Amino acid sequence: MTILVRRSNLVLPATDAGAIANAWSHNADAVTLDLHGVPAHQLAAARSGLPAAIAQVGQGGADVFVWVNAAAVYADLDAAVGAGLCGVILPGVESAADVTAADDCLTELERQRGIAVGSIELTVALETAAGVWQVREIITTSPRTRRVALDEAALAANLGIVQTPDLDPFVYAKGRICIEATAAGVRPIAFIDPMGRGGQGLSDADKVKIATDARNLGFKGMLCDQPHWVDAINAAFTPAESLVEYYTQVREVFAQALAAGTAAAPFAGRMIDVPVDEWAKDVLAMSAACAARDAAKQAALARLRA
Amino acid sequence: MAVHPRRLKRSGLTMPIVTERFINNAWHRGCDFINMDLEDSVPPHLKGAARDLVRESIPVVNKGGADAVCRINHDLMEADLNAVIWPGLMQVNYPKTEYGAEIRRMDEIITQLEAERGIRPGTVEIGANIETAVGVANAYEIAAASARVRDFGGASGYDMSRDLGVEMFVGFDQFVYGKGEVELAARALGIVPRAAPFTPNITGSVSDPDRAFAEADAARRCGFRIGGGLHPNVVEPQNRGFTPSDAELEDAQWVLQEYGKLEHTAETWRQVDTHDVPSGAVPAPLPCAADAPDRYRIIDRYEAARAEELLRWGGQCIERDRQKNAAMARVRAAESENQA
Repeated sequence: MTILVRRSNLVLPATDAGAIANAWSHNADAVTLDLHGVPAHQLAAARSGLPAAIAQVGQGGADVFVWVNAAAVYADLDAAVGAGLCGVILPGVESAADVTAADDCLTELERQRGIAVGSIELTVALETAAGVWQVREIITTSPRTRRVALDEAALAANLGIVQTPDLDPFVYAKGRICIEATAAGVRPIAFIDPMGRGGQGLSDADKVKIATDARNLGFKGMLCDQPHWVDAINAAFTPAESLVEYYTQVREVFAQALAAGTAAAPFAGRMIDVPVDEWAKDVLAMSAACAARDAAKQAALARLRA
Repeated sequence: MAVHPRRLKRSGLTMPIVTERFINNAWHRGCDFINMDLEDSVPPHLKGAARDLVRESIPVVNKGGADAVCRINHDLMEADLNAVIWPGLMQVNYPKTEYGAEIRRMDEIITQLEAERGIRPGTVEIGANIETAVGVANAYEIAAASARVRDFGGASGYDMSRDLGVEMFVGFDQFVYGKGEVELAARALGIVPRAAPFTPNITGSVSDPDRAFAEADAARRCGFRIGGGLHPNVVEPQNRGFTPSDAELEDAQWVLQEYGKLEHTAETWRQVDTHDVPSGAVPAPLPCAADAPDRYRIIDRYEAARAEELLRWGGQCIERDRQKNAAMARVRAAESENQA
C-alpha cells in the first residue's frame, strides 16, 4: 500500500503574489492558497488569480489546496476547481449537510471540467463545539473527506477561551478528533502554534518538539502559515534516525525470537511482541516513504532549476 | 444470569502459553490472575498447538489461588473459545474488540460451551480489550454487549499506539481521550473500569518494581482497582499498591468514628486538628506534620463514604490474600507429602 507523505502544509494568502512566487522553494509537502482570510474587496481578484497561482505553488512538487470561504463555497470552488488542484479546505463545518453541499458543488464542477469525479479531496476544518461534537457524521458523510483539522484559534474564539502557552484547553477536542478520524480512516491534521505567537521566540528545536507532540497525539501532518515552520514539521513527521535504528534492531530481535519458537522477547528492558514488530514495520515503511517523497520533490526542483 | 462475586484483579501476569517454564512457575508468584496468552506472544505457526495446551494448563496456573485467564486471538475467536472454555477458566480476554456484535457472539458461544462442559452458567467473564480507535468510538456499545463484561478498559498500549501512529513512551498522555471515553462507558454502566492515571514513563521497562508500586498506588487513589503486567517483579508491588495499608484502614475507622459523633447534632461536618487526638487513641488517624495541609481534617459524609469504600475494599483484599495463602499452603503441603 502506498503511504501518503504530507507532513507540512504551508498556508499562504491567495492575494500575496510574493509569497506565491516563492512558495515552491520552501520544501513543503503541500501548499494551501487561502481565500478565507482575504478581504471582501480583494476576493474577486484573488479568485481570478487562482489558476495561475495553483500552477506556480505546485512547481516544487507540493500538493496544492485552496481554503475556501464558508459563506461563499460555490463561488470559491468555481474559481478553484481546475488543473493542479489536489483538494480544498472547508472551514466552519458543523454538520454532514455542510459537507454534502460542498461535495455536490465539487461533483458538478468536476463533471463540467472533465476532471475525474471524486478526485478532489475535502479537508474539513472544525471551528466550533458543534463541529467537534458532530465530528463522526461530518467526516464519514463523503468519501472525499480525507483530512480533518481542528482550527484551534477559531475554536478558542467560539468558546471564549484566551489561549496561553502553558495550558492546553483542547486536550479533549484534539483527542476526540484523532480517535474519530483514525476510526473513520481520515487523516487528522494539526495547526501549528495555536497560541498565535507565530513562532516568535521559538528555536528550531522548540518547533520540532511542538510538531513531534502533535504527531504523538495521532496527527498526520500540520498546517503552518509561515515558511520557517516547514523544515521543523517535515523533520518531526519523518522518523528520526535513532528511531529507524532502534526499530531495525527490534525487527532483528523479534525475528530471532520467532525462530526460537516464541513471539515475546525482552529487549532493552522492554518486551517485544507482535504489535511492537508491526509498529516497527510501519516506522521503517514511513521512513522509506518520506525518503521517496523528498526525492520526488528534489527531482521537481531540479527540473524547475534546469 | 446469576450474580457472581466480584473477582479481585490487583495483579496478574500475561505469558505465552507455549513457554512451559513460565506456565509451570506462575502459580507461586502471588498473582490474583494469570493470563495465558494465545495471541501476540505466540508465533503464528504455533497457534494450533498453543490452544491445545490451555485445558491442561488451567489447573497448573490456578493451583496457587490465582484466577486462570486466557487471551485468545481476535481472528481465531471461535476455534480458540472451543479450546479454552473448560472448568477452572474464569475469564477470556478478547483483543482488539471493535463492535458490540463481536462480544454478543462470544457470549453465545461461551454460554453453549458452559452448558456442555458442566460450568456454572455465567462463570466465564469476557475481557473486551479496547486497542483501536474504532473500539474507542464504540466503547459504550461494546461494554453493554454482555453481562459477562464485568470490567472494561484499555485504549492504550502498543496496539493502540500503532493504530494511532504514535510512539509509546513520549512523556505525556497521548491516550487521555480514549482512556476517558472507555472509563466513562464503564462507569455509566456500573462496570469496574480497567484504567490507570498517567505517570510519565519514557523507559518502557516492564520489570521495575518501584515503578509498578508507584503506578498501582496512584491507580488505587484514583479509584482504580485492576493491575497486571508481564514480569514477576511487578506482582508483589502491584498487590501492595492496590491494597490499603494497615495505617489507611485504621485511619478510615477513625474517620467513621469521628463521623459518628455528628449523629444527634445539628452539624453536617466538623474539622478536627489531628494533633489534638490523644496519642495512643485507637484507631489513630494518619500522622500529619505540624505544617502539613492535611493536619486539619474535615469529617463529613463524603469522607465517611470514602472511608467505608476503603474498608470494604480492604476487607476484600484481606479475604483474597487469605484464599491465595491457603491455596499456596495446600500445594506446598501436598508437595512435601509427595517428597516424603
